[in-house]
Amino acid sequence: MTLRIVVLTKPVPDPAAAAERLGPDGRLDRAASPAVINGNDEYTLEAALKLADAQDAEVTLLSMAPATGVETMRKGLAMGAHRGVLVTDPALAGSDGWSTVQVLAAALRGMEYDLVLAGFDTSDGVGGVVGAGVATLLKLPYLSSAAKIEPDVDAGTVRVRRISPTGFDVLEAPMPALIVGTQLLGEPRYPSLKGIMAARSKEVVTKSLADLELDAAGVGGDAARTKVTDTEKPPARSATQVVRGTPDEGAKAIADLLASRRLI
Amino acid sequence: MAGKDGAGGAIWVVAETNADGSLAKSSTEVATLARTLAESAGSEAVGIVVAADPKAAAEELAGYVGRVVAVAEPNAAGNAWAQVAAQRAAAILASEPPGAILTGAGSDGRDVAGTLSALLERGVLVNATAVAWDGGPSVEMSVFGGRLVTTSTFVDGEWGIVTVRPNVVTAEKAAAAGTVDSKDPEGDLDLPLVKVVDRIEEAAAALPIEEARVIVAGGRGVGGDEGFKLVQDLADVLGGAVGATRAAVDSGWIPYAQQIGQTGKIVKPQLYLALGISGAIQHKVGMQTAGTIIGINRDPDAPIAEFADLVVVGDLFEVGKVLLEELRTRS
Amino acid sequence: MTEAGAVAYRLTEEQVLLRDTIRTLAFEQIAPRAAEIDRTGEFPEDIRQLLASQDVLALPYPVEHGGLGADLLTQCLVIEQIARACVTSSLILSVQALASLPLLLGGSEEQKARLFPDLASGKVLAAFALTEPEAGSDAAALRTRAVREGDGYRLSGTKRFITNGSVAGLITVFAVTDPDAPRHKRISCFAVEVPTDGFKVARLEHKLGIRGSPTAELNFDGVLVPEANRIGDEGDGWKLALATLDRSRPGIAAQAVGIAQGALDVAAQYARERKQFGQRIGEFQMVQAMLADMDSRTEAARQLLYKAATEIEAGAADASRWASISKLIAGDTAMAVTTDAVQVLGGYGYTDDYPVERMMRDAKITQLYEGTQQIQRLVIARALLGKPE
Repeated sequence: MTLRIVVLTKPVPDPAAAAERLGPDGRLDRAASPAVINGNDEYTLEAALKLADAQDAEVTLLSMAPATGVETMRKGLAMGAHRGVLVTDPALAGSDGWSTVQVLAAALRGMEYDLVLAGFDTSDGVGGVVGAGVATLLKLPYLSSAAKIEPDVDAGTVRVRRISPTGFDVLEAPMPALIVGTQLLGEPRYPSLKGIMAARSKEVVTKSLADLELDAAGVGGDAARTKVTDTEKPPARSATQVVRGTPDEGAKAIADLLASRRLI
Repeated sequence: MAGKDGAGGAIWVVAETNADGSLAKSSTEVATLARTLAESAGSEAVGIVVAADPKAAAEELAGYVGRVVAVAEPNAAGNAWAQVAAQRAAAILASEPPGAILTGAGSDGRDVAGTLSALLERGVLVNATAVAWDGGPSVEMSVFGGRLVTTSTFVDGEWGIVTVRPNVVTAEKAAAAGTVDSKDPEGDLDLPLVKVVDRIEEAAAALPIEEARVIVAGGRGVGGDEGFKLVQDLADVLGGAVGATRAAVDSGWIPYAQQIGQTGKIVKPQLYLALGISGAIQHKVGMQTAGTIIGINRDPDAPIAEFADLVVVGDLFEVGKVLLEELRTRS
Repeated sequence: MTEAGAVAYRLTEEQVLLRDTIRTLAFEQIAPRAAEIDRTGEFPEDIRQLLASQDVLALPYPVEHGGLGADLLTQCLVIEQIARACVTSSLILSVQALASLPLLLGGSEEQKARLFPDLASGKVLAAFALTEPEAGSDAAALRTRAVREGDGYRLSGTKRFITNGSVAGLITVFAVTDPDAPRHKRISCFAVEVPTDGFKVARLEHKLGIRGSPTAELNFDGVLVPEANRIGDEGDGWKLALATLDRSRPGIAAQAVGIAQGALDVAAQYARERKQFGQRIGEFQMVQAMLADMDSRTEAARQLLYKAATEIEAGAADASRWASISKLIAGDTAMAVTTDAVQVLGGYGYTDDYPVERMMRDAKITQLYEGTQQIQRLVIARALLGKPE
């Protein structure tokens, strides 16, 4: 039996490039910011691909993004995902988390899957609330902070090691289920060049809001429940004191600063 | 009050508990913030505790807010907690429209917030580094790796959910303890339960670093287990926790639970002492809001010199050992 | 006069993804090894395995023989990104491609089917043996002989400066089959599978740069090569060698562009961070001007290279000219930009605390191998003026 995995992948501005641009509404201008796959989504993608290495599985990427999201998705396909679904619609610009949850849930309703994997959070939003929201709308078992994912296709269940404050909890639920993963799932692979060459022939299906039978009035920027009212550069810290000298001088400088700030 | 959605409603806190049933430290901070906001809003602060045995945490929470609703939910034990708790909280909130709902921004808090958002069809403002009241919560957050601070609100005076980062406020008890109302869970749980089939303790899970007042952290420059012994010794004498960069975690010198940065924890201690840490952006985003930042680094041009209060240029072992002696003498 | 061809290039989405993937791989996996490879002077077997596992070595070969069938521009993009981190590592692909070109251009289907799969997978490395002690750029002066014997040939002679000659399992060797023929028909090309009787690595050179790439002197003492391993017809060697260089010189230009970019990366980063007289050195206009010139020259060399690769791939009649122009400009750019990078870093740049001194040493080779810059000028001048009477 084929294990059907959907991996939620979000194109985000490349954190390494540090070139994010904001639109006039204070939200990220995604069209103007160079995009990469969200780093935390690569861990869950890697987990999905490892499952596909070990058993019969099909990995589908699902993104909600501007039309340029196809380019970002190619990297995931090059890493080994089998196909992609891109939800894109001009009306979705400026979406907030709740809007994203509704759109992804609607897209998943039209797909067949055993597992939906989501990253711990995104480097641009850093909310980490979308996975739980999607699971709730779809009434899927929700397993979060996963360090390990072990599906049992015959039993129709999945086990997850969830990071807890004192170690790990082992969770078990029937499939289909939605899992939020962490870095502990393992380092993402590099796309092989054969994978890149093969990615061009892989299918990416594009869906609009109309395709998902979603009313544009309920989602997107106009329906956002939150708004940015102000942006500012963080206050600069005071000038850095640099001490070069003997270890004694260095240690004394530290102890003096700690004492003056009543930290010891 | 004017007919605006949520106006005059209480500021609610969905509290998290520790494994022993006590109240999580992050919830004491969130509850303190809720009380402050309620004072500004002219409303009350109310806590919700959902647990198999909520008594201890509920009483503790009543030390911070005027009223606590304690829901004894047997399913909260032996199952993944957050969605169970969110459903019980949502049922209560359906009959008492809130002014805002606050949760922690850790993994449990996020799970609760995300679930509540879908159950109540409300927006979420995430990772608050500060919250003020201006007819509704006005939430400050740090984005793009700390290069920008945004302030956001809910639209049209609607109410919504806010997740609050650890160490954003200092927990402070109220002058008078509040009341605890016990409430039985009503109705079925709609969302599927996720069983906890095993709990695995991992050694040396000491003080969680998000809650530490002082963090001594080591990076690639620490070089290995022996170096982390020095980091640990310094943390001990300063009464702090040990943190690490991703490079140190990847090298297997220290568990992932201690990792600070983009893919690890986000911390805000009063003191952050960085040993052999260059301060690359991926690490910086996890600790840049610390009160005092001190680095010991061989490279004077390392990025940490951009945002630390003090950088000592030198061998971290040499400086660290002298510092250890110095601190032992002074304390 | 030769007019610029009408063939335009624009990188495809796939080429961009491939380039960026290799950039990440090179930055994360290869760059951290570069200094050690240079210091020890040992061939980086781990990098070879890495490149093989990521299918990098499969780029030049046809899809039906286990390769990726990448065009010349794509190969250059990959070489450039690897060279940006470590030139020695980029040479693994460059030489694999170079040594396989005679087979690609003149080999039989049987030879390709037999030899390419192991080359494409990286299981076997290849080397290209044209140069001899007495025949450097003057390939017509070759002395290595191939004498008919039974179903094959006996090869005797010495090849010098053979990159990766000591780690290769397949060597394309050029040898004289008919010393009395006109110079363009004297030589033939053979695919020699080693180790084999009579073959010996005589010595390795100690070099200024590319120190992890073994540069070998190879002895062929009556090495028996079956006729099935002769590439093309007897007397095709000269033609094959020239056609090979038309396609391989852009690879050297790609190395040169990569080195220049790598040095520029380091210099720009340094200028952003290093403070002197209370300000970042990047705020000094003299440093800014150097960096701006370095960037401009590097970009100019890169654009010329991409255009050259596109023209050659399209079968331009003046492919030799494009190949030589791209290598001439890129090689000189690499030398100038790396030298300036050392200057930007000042005294630190001269030490092995920073990679620019290594890059400067590595850059020099791009002005020397696969034809010195003087030879490139000769080729360009001939294309311009016609051959001397």
